[in-house]
Amino acid sequence: MNTVRASPLFSSGRWIPAAALEVDGNPDQAVAGVGEPGSRVLAGPRLLAGMEPLRDHLERLGPLPELGNAAGIREYVEESGLQGRGGSGFPVAAKMRAVAARGPRPLVVVNGSESEPASRKDRTLMALRPHLVLDGAAVAAAAVNADQIIVQLHRGAGDAMAGLVRAQEERRRARLPELQVEISCGPPRYVAGESSAIIHFLEDGDARPLTDRRAARAGVHGRPTLVHNAETMSHLALIARRGPWWFRLAGTIGAPGSSLVTLAGAIPPGQRVFEVGGAVKLGRLLSERAGLSAPPRAVLLGGYAGAWVDGAAAWELTLARDQLSTEGISFGCGLLGILPWEACGLAETARLLAYLAGESARQCGPCAFGLPRLAEGMTALAFGRVGRREVRQLLRRSAIVAGRGACHHPDGAVLLLHHALAVFEDDVERHIRRGPCDRAAHLPTFRVPTAAPEAGWR
Amino acid sequence: MAQLAVDPLRCKGRGICALIAPRQIDLDEWGFPMVSSDESEDPATLRRARRAVAACPERALRLVLRSSTRPGEA
Repeated sequence: MNTVRASPLFSSGRWIPAAALEVDGNPDQAVAGVGEPGSRVLAGPRLLAGMEPLRDHLERLGPLPELGNAAGIREYVEESGLQGRGGSGFPVAAKMRAVAARGPRPLVVVNGSESEPASRKDRTLMALRPHLVLDGAAVAAAAVNADQIIVQLHRGAGDAMAGLVRAQEERRRARLPELQVEISCGPPRYVAGESSAIIHFLEDGDARPLTDRRAARAGVHGRPTLVHNAETMSHLALIARRGPWWFRLAGTIGAPGSSLVTLAGAIPPGQRVFEVGGAVKLGRLLSERAGLSAPPRAVLLGGYAGAWVDGAAAWELTLARDQLSTEGISFGCGLLGILPWEACGLAETARLLAYLAGESARQCGPCAFGLPRLAEGMTALAFGRVGRREVRQLLRRSAIVAGRGACHHPDGAVLLLHHALAVFEDDVERHIRRGPCDRAAHLPTFRVPTAAPEAGWR
Repeated sequence: MAQLAVDPLRCKGRGICALIAPRQIDLDEWGFPMVSSDESEDPATLRRARRAVAACPERALRLVLRSSTRPGEA
């Protein structure tokens, strides 16, 4: 612990309530794009300047401090309150402790898969701030005494690959004391970014998920494996430099630190990834950054298997992981998908469900057989003629599918369906009475990859 | 207390379990088992559950035993 450079706030021993320092009080700092004032992991050169070279990275942030022993680093991370920036927001320190306790020769995996088709935050970091990501991976490795780091990407993420390769080359030339870092590329499938799927892929070259139980026990070739995404790693790199209390100056007490979000759907061209530093209202972000002057029809939150929220309600939502979860919404990967008034939520949901059904690894019966039926039911509701009986049957089927897979893929699809039927209740009624609305013919708002199933699982 | 549990990765939906223990296992419309969550201690039910576990050709079914008292209370 001694060798970790303590932040001034920390060493003074004063406890400063994070709420008193929430960045939201400063309107310039609450939402920031790449290289804009108030950004943290996105700080540095502006978007168009491209990747930040090692020299600039070190000039801006200084070298990583001496990290000290593993237990000390884990305490430090615990004090920061950092939660994983992937799906579930699990405390990072707890995951580190579990990995460190499991056995010898642990391994650190930087999850750069970013399987959510519209999310770009991890790729943005790997493409533009790869040194921050690699620094963070080194901190994670030191926290569990790992001697190897693997960065897992989806094939086709050329920008991320280019950033990381160039960063590694720069680090080699600068003779930075460094662990072995390997880059691994897997199939670009939706569930292949799930951590048990990554472990499976690194072990057998098969990117289908395992059950949580098996993954937790196994790890890659039996080695305890710590998996965190690129954003989580980037926060670690800053926590190591500036201390846990600096980290807590952003965010909320229940969800400390800044978080990245990606705008998708009906948005103007230009920057899509933003860093949220305080408890900002979604409406403010959408008016400042997506050019909206009034609430959209609805917002898709958290990912393609996420939650639909009615536009007016979404406008008033506070963008913080803990606040959203009290509303029963998962922040997920930070996707903020905007559905315009011209589009039909049922039609969009039908396309998303068809995509999710096609992305089933087809390992578990209820998911393999059930999701296509749910997608068909939704498609019939959106584009065909159905009665109340068919809608009731769709709901009954969805309840049967949920919770019966090895991974949570079917659960996410069912959640999306339930949110759609609730938020677009009036549309459901109209479709039942009069058939598909004109808006169902609107061009798709959310794009789904089409060629994925042929890519296989290897 | 005993509870049947299905390993969804192993289960191929052969349906033998539902023939042996129809009171604890229902098949969904695709033939995959749905286990009822009511935990019975009746010996005949338990016996049928054990037979269903033993009969599964994919070894996808198991019986999870849970102590009915919390640790330290016994």
